Amino acid sequence: MNLVRAELERLSARRFVQLMVVLLVLAFGVTAATTLAGSHKPSADELASARAQATEARRGMEMAFQECLARQNGTLPPREPESYYPRDCSEIDPVRSERLPITADYLPGVFSFAEQARPLLYFLIAFLVLFGFLVGASYIGADLNSGGVVNLLLWRPRRLTVLGAKLGALLGSVLALSVLASLFYLATFWVIGQTAGLAGRLSGDFWRSLGAVHGRGMVLVLLASALGFAIATLGRHTSAALGAVAAYAVVWELGARLVLEIVDARRPDQLMLSSHIGAWLTGETRFWDSQLCADSRPGVYCESFYSLTWGPALLVLLVITGGLTAAAFVVFRRRDLI
Amino acid sequence: MSAVIEIEGLRKTFHSLRNGRRVAVDGFDLLVEEGQIHGFLGPNGSGKTTTLRALLGLVRADSGRMSVLGEPSPELLPRVAGRVGAIVESPQFFGNFTGYRTLRLLARAGGVPVSRVDEALELVGLRDRGDERVKGYSLGMKQRLAVASALLKDPRLLILDEPANGLDPAGIREMRDLMRSLAASGVTVLVSSHILGEIQLICDHVTIISRGRRVAAGRVDEVLAGHDRHEFLVRVAEPERAVELLHAAELTAVVDSDALVVNGVTDSTVISRVLGEQGLWVGELTPLRPDLESVFLELTGAGEDPSVPRQVDHAAPLPGAEGDPIDLDVRGVDA
Repeated sequence: MNLVRAELERLSARRFVQLMVVLLVLAFGVTAATTLAGSHKPSADELASARAQATEARRGMEMAFQECLARQNGTLPPREPESYYPRDCSEIDPVRSERLPITADYLPGVFSFAEQARPLLYFLIAFLVLFGFLVGASYIGADLNSGGVVNLLLWRPRRLTVLGAKLGALLGSVLALSVLASLFYLATFWVIGQTAGLAGRLSGDFWRSLGAVHGRGMVLVLLASALGFAIATLGRHTSAALGAVAAYAVVWELGARLVLEIVDARRPDQLMLSSHIGAWLTGETRFWDSQLCADSRPGVYCESFYSLTWGPALLVLLVITGGLTAAAFVVFRRRDLI
Repeated sequence: MSAVIEIEGLRKTFHSLRNGRRVAVDGFDLLVEEGQIHGFLGPNGSGKTTTLRALLGLVRADSGRMSVLGEPSPELLPRVAGRVGAIVESPQFFGNFTGYRTLRLLARAGGVPVSRVDEALELVGLRDRGDERVKGYSLGMKQRLAVASALLKDPRLLILDEPANGLDPAGIREMRDLMRSLAASGVTVLVSSHILGEIQLICDHVTIISRGRRVAAGRVDEVLAGHDRHEFLVRVAEPERAVELLHAAELTAVVDSDALVVNGVTDSTVISRVLGEQGLWVGELTPLRPDLESVFLELTGAGEDPSVPRQVDHAAPLPGAEGDPIDLDVRGVDA
């Protein structure tokens, strides 16, 4: 416990950590300030007009669907020029639509918390993932490089305990900071929505969905922190983690993706870590596969999409991060510390 | 006396893709007994730091047996780590921490009462500078802080690798006094240093390592005595005639500048008698005792030819070693 406390103090005293926290506060402040400056409380007239427009848009969607069905049944009277209708009317069925027009869509210059909370949270999670990765890598990388770990091992000659305490302190600190920052962040934008914008429809489903994204985001931040820590431990330097990520992005995400597309490989996206990160964070991600409908009969509707869901995506992320972290502990246990 | 540090047959080889295989320590033995101030000497790259790192569990030995305070190291080192204070090379500290905070963190990590921090700072002379940031410290102050970190635990064994690095003459003297007072209070000290005069002044025992092997060990006076050639410096009015007289008496003598060096003599009165009987009166008769530096240079071959720049690890072949079994291409690394 003393070791973890000491590590927490060392971590919080690091200049890089302090700089990243300042950047986090700055990013948060700029986002909140620009949102506040660009939003206003809608007047009763604006609201009424927006509601009418949204109702009209929904009615238009319903009419188009009914006309499509009527044309399919041959009961639609001929018109000039004839509107375009898909072969399969379910494509434009409002009930199956992912999202129907709502009042907020017709309120320009008005911040809607219900509409913007999710993208704002994604932005914060992206920043925290970067924060966790960089702090995790620099925390152990700098210590290994400067001899700080050796100094500590002279006091506590238990390598796994020392490395475990460092990783525990890192994950605990990053999680605490991330939870606090994200809750404060969401609360601030909720207040902006209430006072200088529109709160929107904050139903139980909305909060459950936002909570799920938040929870998955926090897990992603922890995985990124552990990954940065593990790669820097394996490479003995902070730069090893940065280099590994840069190399992976260029060689695999860009280069291999291009090659896989050239050779017409099946479902190349599911081989990319970024796809699994997206699937984990959003719950499900759909990818296009040109060969998926190659064997379908003509005239029969076929969706050339396949999905990655959060379960398998989490498994992939856990295996990679867990594997690298375990490797880091094994290597650190046996390594000569010079 | 009980052994505080025992090393038998320590061997460590480093492998790298670029430099290949390098034997840093090759069957090295070391024995440090309780209460000693034990000097650990060797040229750059001879294996001193590797030995200390292996002893403290920082590098994995290929073979050999080591124990610290009676416990096998590194397996059971954690049992005694609380009683072993060590600095290996110059430890790095966070520049933006104060000296006090640096020690407080170490004390916490090691489960040592924080009250020890002030005592340790006082001992190394940093009491009044403890609240300054480490990045503002001079090299000597950082070295003092390192020693303070080793003293925090109130150790029974103190291992100091080059503790005098960066210290001014007064600091070196203070460090010497500190080691003496610690030894007087029952702390065993193992100190490696390149300042041979210091080692001779403070150490009662010494071990010399060259090319990864022990080339001398024992009490300092015994090691020096083992290399005593029984030489005397003699000043007389007629040096050439004196040489002839001494040769006639079957003594070996050579003219050295304006004096004579006579060697192989156990009783100095022989010299004055031989010369006095022939009317040559001795103006000066000084025994030439070896010092640690000359013994060190002789054993390690470090001072063989002053006209040729010595390369790191260029050391004398080891007695009994066949050929040159050790690849010591260290390239500037103090292994």
